[in-house]
Amino acid sequence: MDSWVVAMMLGASIFLGAIALTAFLWGIKNGQFDDEKKMMNQVQYDDESELNDAANQQRKQEAINKKEYKPE
Amino acid sequence: MSKVKCDHCHLEFSDEVMIHEDEYRFCCHGCQGIFHLLKDEGLESFYSKMGDTTLSPPTEQFEASTNFDTSAFSERFVTTTKEGLSQVSLVIEGIHCAACVWLNEKALHKMEGVIEAYINYTNNKARITWDPETLKLSAIIEMIRAIGYNAFPYDASLQEVRSNKERKEYYLRMAVATFAAMNMMWIAVAQYAGYFSGISQEIKTILNVAEWFLATPVLFYSGWVFYRGAYYGLKNKAVTMDLLVVTGSSLAYLYSIYITIFEKGEAYFDSVTMIITFVLFGKFLEVLSRKNAADTLDIISKHVPREVSIMDGENIRSVDVNEVKVGDVIVIRSGERSAIDGEVISGEGSFDESNLTGESEPIFKRIGDSIISGTTSIDALIHYRSTKDFAHSTLSNLVNLLENAMAHKPSIEQLANRLSQHFSSTILFLAIATFWTWFFWPHSFDRALMVGISVIIIACPCALALATPVATLVGLALGAKRGILFKSAAQIETMAKSTMIVLDKTGTITQGRPEVVHSTLYDPFDFGVLHTLVSSSKHPISRGVLEYLDRTGELIRSNVIEEVREIPARGMVGRANGLMIAGGNALLMQELGIIVDSFSDKSLFYYAVDKKLAAVYELRDLPKERASESIEALKRSNLRVVMLTGDHEAAALRVAGEVGIDEVYSHLSPEDKATFITQARDEGHIIVMAGDGVNDLLALAAADIAIAMGNGSDIAIEVSDVILMNDSLTSLAEAFGISRKTYGLIKQNLAISLIYNSITIPLAMMGYVIPLIAAISMSFSSLLVVGNSMRVRWMYK
Repeated sequence: MDSWVVAMMLGASIFLGAIALTAFLWGIKNGQFDDEKKMMNQVQYDDESELNDAANQQRKQEAINKKEYKPE
Repeated sequence: MSKVKCDHCHLEFSDEVMIHEDEYRFCCHGCQGIFHLLKDEGLESFYSKMGDTTLSPPTEQFEASTNFDTSAFSERFVTTTKEGLSQVSLVIEGIHCAACVWLNEKALHKMEGVIEAYINYTNNKARITWDPETLKLSAIIEMIRAIGYNAFPYDASLQEVRSNKERKEYYLRMAVATFAAMNMMWIAVAQYAGYFSGISQEIKTILNVAEWFLATPVLFYSGWVFYRGAYYGLKNKAVTMDLLVVTGSSLAYLYSIYITIFEKGEAYFDSVTMIITFVLFGKFLEVLSRKNAADTLDIISKHVPREVSIMDGENIRSVDVNEVKVGDVIVIRSGERSAIDGEVISGEGSFDESNLTGESEPIFKRIGDSIISGTTSIDALIHYRSTKDFAHSTLSNLVNLLENAMAHKPSIEQLANRLSQHFSSTILFLAIATFWTWFFWPHSFDRALMVGISVIIIACPCALALATPVATLVGLALGAKRGILFKSAAQIETMAKSTMIVLDKTGTITQGRPEVVHSTLYDPFDFGVLHTLVSSSKHPISRGVLEYLDRTGELIRSNVIEEVREIPARGMVGRANGLMIAGGNALLMQELGIIVDSFSDKSLFYYAVDKKLAAVYELRDLPKERASESIEALKRSNLRVVMLTGDHEAAALRVAGEVGIDEVYSHLSPEDKATFITQARDEGHIIVMAGDGVNDLLALAAADIAIAMGNGSDIAIEVSDVILMNDSLTSLAEAFGISRKTYGLIKQNLAISLIYNSITIPLAMMGYVIPLIAAISMSFSSLLVVGNSMRVRWMYK
């Protein structure tokens, strides 16, 4: 067996693993695991109204940002 | 009588007392108001979300929310983000379930101007970002209060932010290390298989390079904490465990690179990863169990009133406590806490001084008496003249002393730390000696280097690093199962070494509330009337009688009493079925013209119907259940047991006699208690202090280990290292048992890892250690330590 096959498989699997790891690290940094109790309950509050709420908040945020950049 | 659920808080009450409204039932107007508010806001799905949880009904006594808009307040608590928005950190009170979090976030999000409201369910802390141009902070606080919660600000001080950041950093480092270590394992399996059955150099190099690739982030990213620790250790001229870890793993890493490039011998990348990962986990467990002092001071400042009402000519005006000058006239209403020391100039009533003195009996104050800051008015409306300004009043002195004591809390060096210093220097010395011996006993440089490195690797303190954290974790879990919460793992060891236990009387040895011990009935009367009468008062004596009536289980029908009136420091009077009824102390009876024999060392509650004595109840603060047994157990474990109390001598001696304590000091002020502890510590005692009230705070902070009762005051719990959730003295004795057991376990674990090393290190010095043996030895010693700790868990079921 050619040894490059081993090298390639090693490389590919570590690379794939690294992608998953990066995603996990991103999740930690992003604060998704900060509140263990809330995280476990989050699934209960995941319907349409939550989405609307989140969208509303974002709209508010954007409105504020726009106000900031408005030329005087 | 059927019990009905309140439609807001879901607590059950009998149907008659409820407020009826269509098909809904409410226990109070507060709940009713919130229910309608939620309906109007379209948030009624809250009730389906909260499920079976019950809420506490809303309270009404709030400090004016306009305080939150003052500049002094915003300077301290409000930060401005770079977009020009304001941000505040609040602690929300009254969160019971995930639905509460949802409701608060929802309600806040609905407000115009709130950009973000994030509530942490685990610690009930909220971070709110809002636009200061459209909204005031007071409106936000009012919204939170309107939906039945309360919020008070806390300084999201650097310390807390820093410790959260540190923890997060550890998560990241651990995630990387675990990922690498796990992948490393399956590569290592190939390596070891090759070692025994033959492997071509080409494949071996490929595997080595893969391992190199994985080990690099572990050593330099995850292992960064050890480099940092070693650097600071060296700066203080100390050889630390970190230094040993760093030298071992760095040398092994460099050597393995050399092996990989020149294609000879075996690489040690897997050992590098394993060492860092194991030791990092051990270190993380330590960080996790370290106590966060930041929260403590937040809670303390919450208990200090921020403003007082003073008389400004004819008007009453609220001012900041710091603006009050000596000689100002301060008004204090019932339920309020005084912030400033002074002297009563008009009005009279009872004060609860249990905060400061520990005495459960309310103190009656009249003109000329002094008011101590920190005490709470029970029923008095009093005008008093301040004799000190805020900074010099008892309460702020107490807070200052406390902050001081917290900052200078003694720390006892942990066994493992002391050991690891000697261990590290010995190993480093041995490794260097081995290298030179091999080098001059003619061997090639790389052979000598390899053997030298193998000494460090094999000795590398995986087991040593895990010995203490794993054992303490077992101890913590054992305690938690029995309602004993150790706040910090290091405290278990200190507690095991302690030689003296100091107990507070009220609330620690005794139950902290008077209980009926004897009743004499003179005339038959309607118990229902008495029940209703005593339930109208919050005085501890009335509470005691009420509890007794409930306990004796006599049929009690609620009765209507008219004209119920509380007479300060006397009792209550009222009218039922046309007859005058009165319940209270001897003074009240005398005033009604009833002659009573009032001589007793206990508190007496008299009840008279139509000016004739009907019953006398004797009340006393009884020791807790099985108190004497527990004291006996404490004494048996060679502890000096001492009781301190602010109460008078007779009461102290009686309780001490009942539970079997020989050493009693009575009539102590909070400062005296702390002084007593400091003195005993100077004599060389390691002291455990158990208490529950604000009057014990200083003593608690001065002791090596502070234990608080679970129903003690918030501050006492915050200051303490150990909390007994079920309040019993039995668990106090148990806490000692567990801590000693755990300490024994720590010692065993350390012994195991040292014995282990004393076998493997000579082997390594003789050059018998190949990577496989290093790896196996490392895992095996760690397994031994973990296994040994688990054994105790099984035994101590």
